[in-house]
Amino acid sequence: MNGFVERPRFSCTLGGALSTVTAIHGTVPIVHAAAGCGGNLFTAQLGGSGYYGSGYCGGLSAPGSNVSEHEIVFGGEERLAEQIRTTLEIMEGECYVVLTGCMTDIIGDDIRSAVQEFRGTGAPVAGVETGGFKGTSYKGYDLALSALFRQVVAETDERATNRVNLWGLVPGLDPFFRGDLLELQRLLALVGVQASTFFVPGEGVRDLVEAGKAAANIVVSQQHGIAAAEAFRERFGTPYLALELPIGPSASARFLRQVAEFLGLDGQLVERVIERETADYYRFVERVADFYCDTDLQHYVAVVGNATSALPYTRFLAEDLGWLPSLVVVTDNLPDEERSRIALSLDSLPHGGKPALVFETDASVIAGHLTRAWRPSGGERYQKRFAPAFVLGSTLEQEPAAAVGARHLSVSYPVFNRVIVNRGYAGFHGALHLVEDLLSTYFGGA
Amino acid sequence: MAHHTDQKVLPKREDRLRTCHAYGGTSCALVQESRGGCLVRSERSFTQVCNCQMSLALTMVTTIPDAVIIMHAPPGCGGSNVSMDLYVRNGLNARGEKKAPLIWFTSNLDEADVIAGGEEKLEATIVEADLRFRPRLIFVVSTCTPGIIGDDIDAVAGRVRSRVAATVVPLHCEGFKTRISATGYDAVYHGLARYVQLAPHDAQRLAEESSGQALLDERRKSRRVNVFNVYSIGRSDEVELARLLELIGLEARFYPNFARPEAFTELTEASLNVSICATHDDYFLTFLEERYGIPYLIDTMPIGIRNTGRWLRAVAARFGLEEQAERVIAAEEAELERALSDYRPPLAGKRVYLGGGEMRVAATAMLMHELGCEVVGFRAHHYDEFGDDLYLTAAQDRPGMEVNVATTQTFELANLIERAQPDLYLGHSGSNAWVAKLGVPTLPIFSAPQTYLGYLGVFEVARRAVRLTANRAFQEQLRRHTRQPYRESWYRNDPFAYITDGADGAGGRP
Repeated sequence: MNGFVERPRFSCTLGGALSTVTAIHGTVPIVHAAAGCGGNLFTAQLGGSGYYGSGYCGGLSAPGSNVSEHEIVFGGEERLAEQIRTTLEIMEGECYVVLTGCMTDIIGDDIRSAVQEFRGTGAPVAGVETGGFKGTSYKGYDLALSALFRQVVAETDERATNRVNLWGLVPGLDPFFRGDLLELQRLLALVGVQASTFFVPGEGVRDLVEAGKAAANIVVSQQHGIAAAEAFRERFGTPYLALELPIGPSASARFLRQVAEFLGLDGQLVERVIERETADYYRFVERVADFYCDTDLQHYVAVVGNATSALPYTRFLAEDLGWLPSLVVVTDNLPDEERSRIALSLDSLPHGGKPALVFETDASVIAGHLTRAWRPSGGERYQKRFAPAFVLGSTLEQEPAAAVGARHLSVSYPVFNRVIVNRGYAGFHGALHLVEDLLSTYFGGA
Repeated sequence: MAHHTDQKVLPKREDRLRTCHAYGGTSCALVQESRGGCLVRSERSFTQVCNCQMSLALTMVTTIPDAVIIMHAPPGCGGSNVSMDLYVRNGLNARGEKKAPLIWFTSNLDEADVIAGGEEKLEATIVEADLRFRPRLIFVVSTCTPGIIGDDIDAVAGRVRSRVAATVVPLHCEGFKTRISATGYDAVYHGLARYVQLAPHDAQRLAEESSGQALLDERRKSRRVNVFNVYSIGRSDEVELARLLELIGLEARFYPNFARPEAFTELTEASLNVSICATHDDYFLTFLEERYGIPYLIDTMPIGIRNTGRWLRAVAARFGLEEQAERVIAAEEAELERALSDYRPPLAGKRVYLGGGEMRVAATAMLMHELGCEVVGFRAHHYDEFGDDLYLTAAQDRPGMEVNVATTQTFELANLIERAQPDLYLGHSGSNAWVAKLGVPTLPIFSAPQTYLGYLGVFEVARRAVRLTANRAFQEQLRRHTRQPYRESWYRNDPFAYITDGADGAGGRP
C-alpha cells in the first residue's frame, strides 16, 4: 500500500501516459476520462517541468470524452466510440491513442474493442488503460510506450545494425528530456549510431512506426522505460541495454564505451570521439577555472531527484567537478529490489566519500533529511560546518536549502522557478550547461 | 428557511441554475433560448479536455493562509497545485503575508484502496498534516475516485475532530458530477458554511436575545461591506475597488481568497455582501442572508467604465449614498478620459475577440467597445440566468455579435478566430497560446499582477492592448512555423457543428 505524500513529485499514471504520447509529434491523444483530468494534468506538467507547454495536440486541445454521471451509471463505451469517430473527423493525426482515467477504468469500459473498431481506417488507433490509481506518472510512461510498441510500431524484418532507439527520459517528468536526448543523439551519431529519440524536434510518429528496425533499445535509466523495453523485446526480439544517464565527460565516455561494446562498434573510432569531446569540454572548463578557483566554489552537495537522474548528477559532481556529495534523495516510489540496486550503484562512486542515500518522496521529510545532513550551527567560534553547500533538487527544495544556508538549482520535478526550453545537462555539452547554471547561482542565478 | 448547505453534499449547478455549456449563436438568441429552457441539455459529440470543479475549488482554497489542502484522491488529482505555488506566494506577499509555499498532501489512493476504501488513509493524512503544520484549517478535497467508491469524508472529518487542532473542512469536488466547473466555488462555500465559524459569537443566540438583536442591528448599519474576490483578480484590483468604495464612504474587506482563517469569524460583521462576479458567489451570499440576515448584492462585474459605474451605484444605493457615488463617478470618469487620450487613437476600430468566464467576458466586451474597438464575438465558459441582463446590454446595437458558450474547447476557438481574423484576443489562461499560433496577439484576461477592474483597470487594459498590438511579430512567426492539430476541412465547417441538443441520438446522452 502506498501511503500519503506531502507535495508529491509526480502525477498519476494517466499524467505520465498523456505527457508521453503528446511528446511524440503528430500524435493525437483521446482522453477517455472525467472532464477535469486533462486540464489538471496539463497544469501539473506546466508548473512541474519548467513551463513545458501544449505543443501540437496537448494542453486543452487534447480530445477527451469528458465522461459524466450518465456514463458512470450506464457505461462510457458509446460515448468513447462517438468521441473516436468525431476525433478522426476533425483532428489531423498520424496516430491516435486512447488513454483512460480512474472513472472509466473503474466502470470497466472495454476500450480494446472500441479501438479495434477504428483499426485499418487510416492512421493507427491505439489504446491503453491508464487509470490514475494504478500508480505514478512513471508507470504511465511505461504503460503508454508498451501499448505503442504493441499496437503502433510496424512489423519489419529489417534490422539496421547502426540504429538504436533511445528511452528512459520521461517527457514532462524529466524536465530536461529534450536537451538531454538531443545531446545523446549527437554523441551516438559521432560514433556512427543513428539514435531515434521520438520526442525531439524533427522526430515523431513516423520514427515510432519504424522503430522495429532498430538493432537495440538503449534505456538511459535503470528504472523507467525498462518495462517498455521488455515489451518491445517480447514483440520484436530486440535486445535492450539499460545504462545510467551520462552526465559529464567521465560518465559520457563510459556510456559510449558500453554502447560500443553492446553494438560491436569500431573501438578506435569511439576512443577518438571520447578524446576529442573530453578535450573540448576542458577547453571550456579551463577558462572558467580562474573564477572557480579564485572564488573557491567547491561545494558539499545534496542531490534530490528521481531514480534516473539522482545518481548521474551526484556522479558528475563527485568525479568531474570534485564536489563532496553528502546526501542523495531518490524521489520516486520504488520497490525494494530497485532500491538495493541503486544503493549498490552508489558504492561505485570513486571520489569524495559516500553520501547518505534515502528513498523519499514527501517534501517535509526530504527537508528534514537536509537539515539533519547540514544542521545549522549553534553559533560556536569553531564550527565543523558543511559549507559551502549546494542543493540540486526540485523547486520544493528552494526554502529548505535557504534554511541550511545552501545554494540551490532546480533540476528535478517539480521545476516551477525557471523556464526550460532546449537546455539539457547530459553528455559533454550538458555538463557545461550545468557548470554554467551552478556557478551562476553565485550571482543570484542565471 | 432551508438552504442547500443543510445537506451533506451540495447540488450541482445544473440542478440549481439554468445552465448551459454548449451554444453557438448571438447574445440575444442565447438569452432567449436559455430563458426558454432549450439549452440545458445541449452537449457536444466532440469535446476536448478542460478543467473540472476540483480545479476551481483549488483556486480558492490554496490562497487561504495557514491552511493545508489534502487531496483525497489518486496521486494525479491536484497536480495542478505546482503551478499555483508561485501565484499564491506572490498573492500572499502582496497582501502583507509571509511568503510561504503552498502546502498540500495527496492521500495517494491506489488499486487496493479502490477495492477496500480509502477512509483510513485519509484519516492518517489529516492527522499527520495537523501534526506537521498545525494549520488553522485543513481542507479535504474529495475527487472522483473516493466519490465513486463511497468514502464518507464528512464522517472521517467527524472521527478525527478530537485528535486534531485544525478545523477540518470536507469539500465535495467530484469532477464527473457536473459539467459546470463553477460548481467548485459552491463546493468550497458549502464547506465554509458548514464547518467554519463565520461569526465571533453565536449569531442565533444573539438574535434571540433583545440586547443581541440591538447589537446585530448596529452592525448592519455600519458602513463595512464584504467584497467577494475571485482567484482571477489581483491585489491591485482589490486596492482599486477598496479605493472607490472608500470614496463613497464605505469600508471594504475582501473574502474568501487570501483571507486569513481567523478573519472568517468576522465575516458576518458587515452590513452588505457584495459580489464581484455572479458566477462566483450566489451560493454563499444567499446562505449568509438566510442564516445571518446580511443582505447581498449581485449585479454586474466592475469591469469597464459603464459597468464599474453601475456596480458602484448599486452598492451606494443600498446605503443612500447615491449622490456621493455620482460625484465620484463623474470625477473618476473625467480623470480616466484624460488619461486615455493617448491610447484611444491606436485602439480605434481594432477588431477584438474574447474568451473566458461568463460575466467577465461580457463585461470586458463592453469595456472594449468603450475603448473604441469592435468586438467581433466572445466566448463564455458557461451560461446561466445571471448573464441575462449583462448579455442583453452587451449586445445593444450589435445584434450580429457572435457568442459561443464553451468550456475552452479550442477547436471551436480556432475555427472562430480563423474566420474572424481579429487584431487582438483577450482570453482565459490555457487558450491564449492556441490563438497566438493563429497569428493573433493575446491579452490574458487574468494575470494577478495586472490591474483589470475599476477605472484603473480600464486604463491598464487599454495600455496593454496598445502594447500588444504594436508588435505582433511573435504571433505571426508562430503562425508561419507551427500548425494547429485540425484538418483543413474543419476551418470550412460550421464552428458549432458538433453541438447537439442532447435529446436525440447525436449527442447520445440525455
